[in-house]
Amino acid sequence: MPLVKGGARGSDTSGDLTPQRPALDSSDAESRWAAARALAGHAEAVPELAAALGRETVPRVREAIMTALMRIGDAASVEAMLPSLRSQDAGQRAAAIESLQALPEAIAPFMAPLFGDRDSDVRLLATELARNMKAPDATRLLCELIEREQHPNVCAAAIDVLTEVGTPEAIPVLEKCAVRFAETPFLPFAISVAIARISGAEG
Amino acid sequence: MPITPDDVQRFCEFLYRRTGMSFTQSKRYFIDHRIEDRIAATGSSSFQAYFSLLRADADHEIEHLINSFTVNETYFYREDHQLRCMTSSMLGAIAALKPPGGTIRIWSIPCSTGEEPYSIALWLMENWPEVDNYNVEILGSDIDTRALQAAAEGIYGDRALMRLSRDIVTRYFKPVANGNHQIDEGLRGSIEFTRVNLIDAQDMARYRDFDLIFCRNVLIYFDDASRRQAAENLYDCLRPGGYICLGHSESMSRISPLFSVCRFPDAIVYQRPEADHG
Repeated sequence: MPLVKGGARGSDTSGDLTPQRPALDSSDAESRWAAARALAGHAEAVPELAAALGRETVPRVREAIMTALMRIGDAASVEAMLPSLRSQDAGQRAAAIESLQALPEAIAPFMAPLFGDRDSDVRLLATELARNMKAPDATRLLCELIEREQHPNVCAAAIDVLTEVGTPEAIPVLEKCAVRFAETPFLPFAISVAIARISGAEG
Repeated sequence: MPITPDDVQRFCEFLYRRTGMSFTQSKRYFIDHRIEDRIAATGSSSFQAYFSLLRADADHEIEHLINSFTVNETYFYREDHQLRCMTSSMLGAIAALKPPGGTIRIWSIPCSTGEEPYSIALWLMENWPEVDNYNVEILGSDIDTRALQAAAEGIYGDRALMRLSRDIVTRYFKPVANGNHQIDEGLRGSIEFTRVNLIDAQDMARYRDFDLIFCRNVLIYFDDASRRQAAENLYDCLRPGGYICLGHSESMSRISPLFSVCRFPDAIVYQRPEADHG
């Protein structure tokens, strides 16, 4: 008979916090991966995970650390991931955005400082964090950003998010933005698309 | 109020981002009907009201919506291009690393009422000449113990067997009450069915060393956090070099960068890298 009955083949101890803790600073990536996986959901491990995230160079392990922080999902874990938005590594920035997007309530108190950041790249990336928020909250935050934002690419990113999540309250702000950036043709076009989607007008 | 092209575009962009399901304007009629059905079912007053409800996932609306867009019934030899890929491409690569008589482990998760793991077994017996040269272990797991009980009993109606040839039905099934068919006792006895929660790391830690995992049409229902957790769990369950098959509308590349994409002639599948130091 070529088919034979198999079964579980593993351990029952992967969720055991204590034996895994030292491995986060192991020289072996596999051990660090296992440690990060074991710490998912353990709020007391945030400082350790944050430190590990800061020095981790292996993308797979970094992903696991962010997943662990995402599973904790409190303000401290958000703070631990925010520095990754400034990373030179596009993969790390993308992983941080994806993780933070999954925490719309925890990220909310950090949005105003992020939208006020001196670095336009950070402001631009932060617009994506509004995508999973409740529509009225996302609309308010993004409109506040657009009203004072000078960088057309940041406005464009905010408009792109509003195109999906915006409520009609955004329309006057978008119309003003189109006037303000009339010399930057792609923005009035993007705004016209956003307004059409938000208002549900026949396109 | 009719659904406008802008509504459809907004909806499609959200659906793609949330589930990976991609539709273009060419499917407009299909999309409109499903949206209209869901607007009616939820008592929403307009598309805008429905879209707000959908984004908030009120009353599991995303799950209801996905169900309206997908084929929910399970049957034998469903998405058989992946079964063909298993015997034409993946098992050859897997077997090349095994000693003669070595064990090949295949996991169907979630296995629902058993059609998938039994399909894997039938397909192997019928289409893989090497099957006698290895010990093939097939596991079926699900979170639903009622489904698992039905899987172990292995009794199916005509509809579940619609893709099987008369010859296969005759050789591997016996007629039972109410016009149903029960799968061969030997096959039933050779597949282990267990209860597992895909997003529970501790639960999943009991399952290791799989060469091939079929995990179809479930990740699409998860939110981002659960999807990442599931992807990491599945990674740990696979041997290095092992493969994972997802449903046709799912993409692991969107879910997690842990796996490599393998484009075989019959199907696109995902692989845990062989020597993964990174």
